[in-house]
Amino acid sequence: MLEVRRLSLRYPNGKLALADFDIDVRPGELVVVLGGNGSGKTTLMRCITRTLQPTQGSVRVNGTDLARLDGERLRRARLDLALISQHASLVKRRSVLANVASGALGRHGGWYTALGGLPAAELRRARGYLAEVGLETLARQRAGTLSGGQAQRVAIARALAQRPRALLADEPVASLDPEAAEDIMKLLRRLAGEENLAVLCVLHQIDLAHAYADRVVGIRDGRMAFDLPRAELSHERMRGLYLREAA
Amino acid sequence: MTSTTSSAGVTRYRDNPGWPQALGNALRIVLVLVAIMVAVQSFYVVQARPQDLITGFHGMVDIVSRAMPPDFSNFDAVLWPTLETVDIAIFGTLAGLVLSLPLAVLAAANVTPSRVLYYAARGIIGFTRAVPDLVWALLFVTAVGLGPFPGGLALAVHSIGMMGRLFAETIEHMDMAPIDALSIAGARRTQIFTHGVLPSVLPSLLGISLYRLDENIRSSLVLGFVGAGGIGFQLLTAMNLFQYQQVSVLLIVTFVIVLAAERLSAIARERLA
Repeated sequence: MLEVRRLSLRYPNGKLALADFDIDVRPGELVVVLGGNGSGKTTLMRCITRTLQPTQGSVRVNGTDLARLDGERLRRARLDLALISQHASLVKRRSVLANVASGALGRHGGWYTALGGLPAAELRRARGYLAEVGLETLARQRAGTLSGGQAQRVAIARALAQRPRALLADEPVASLDPEAAEDIMKLLRRLAGEENLAVLCVLHQIDLAHAYADRVVGIRDGRMAFDLPRAELSHERMRGLYLREAA
Repeated sequence: MTSTTSSAGVTRYRDNPGWPQALGNALRIVLVLVAIMVAVQSFYVVQARPQDLITGFHGMVDIVSRAMPPDFSNFDAVLWPTLETVDIAIFGTLAGLVLSLPLAVLAAANVTPSRVLYYAARGIIGFTRAVPDLVWALLFVTAVGLGPFPGGLALAVHSIGMMGRLFAETIEHMDMAPIDALSIAGARRTQIFTHGVLPSVLPSLLGISLYRLDENIRSSLVLGFVGAGGIGFQLLTAMNLFQYQQVSVLLIVTFVIVLAAERLSAIARERLA
């Protein structure tokens, strides 16, 4: 369960980037955040993952408020929260399997992983996650040789290897062709249900949001514009978020 | 008053749009004049007298003729100093690599754990680089005596500075997205380094180390002049004893070592790229 309450960020120059944002994402649910450029979508994601320190509000993952944690306690709390970004962010010179297994590093202390080793159990699990995303045959291939769609699937497998409760996806299909984008959204939809994950996904594609989201949250100027079930939301209303930007 | 001056300035600029170009041309002329002045003063300061080179040419010819033919009768005695020279460079590069890597991590602004450690590491790297390897060799000869060991130590310490700086810059310019991904996934600092930073920059680090090894082989030849072992020491001894045919053998060996090191290093770096 991901609970965001009154999340706000004001930059030192006084600009309000995020204002009193509330979102709940239940296990098994896929919620899409839509909004124009500069509307605050990525800021929202960065505040949730605590790569930005919000000036107000709370981010609860499985009951723990990340907004109030620092150091080792924040690191431990982050284990329940995985992030997939636009460009997959894989270590290109490592194998696909090693990249996936590295998602679970935070669950292991000691010298072996500190010196670059990966536990055998995690490597076994990583093969399973690769099979889930349909890439088990590429386990030994270097991550740098993958296509954009394949790299994004590996990033999803790495996120699963982390064994999180909530999964954030920041424009995961932005650099993919339409077919690969559909595949990734189908995968996220399926994993939300099968792994009982709370999935919060930032998108620009209204059609994808309409096809795969349980709920759609609109964001404009750092404020929530709407939070509605997909069935209650028209294409026109979603487009309205972008029309104002164009005007 | 201020607004009047400002608006007058804007008007002048609009009336004469060519003046920035004229200013640019004037600046170029000044830069060329400065460059000429720098070149001329360097000739003055080094007291350059090309005529001395012409009048003294016969002296050089005399030494070269006395060095011919090279005397290979005592070649066995050159082999051990040759191995020493190469091993001084290998020791210095390896020790420099081991010591400079942790310093580079501390000295890279994007991964350093604290600003205090960042400045401390930058200070050590800067100091070890600023002091020439020859001076380090003199210091270590004083500390541990004559032989190859002070040479190896001198190259190790100087390599900390040279490699540490390049390693730190390599880490600073790496793609941080995979590092951030590991950090957000809850990986520990050491794990982020070994699973993210190191695999990403390893080819560059190895390339820099090979280049440094090539440089250190050249340096280790010179270090012998201050008693730090290797061919340099043999070369100095042979010159002091006027054994010019022996000197020519040592110069041939030096040439072969330097050329071989340069080629091998270049081939290895090409394969890593």
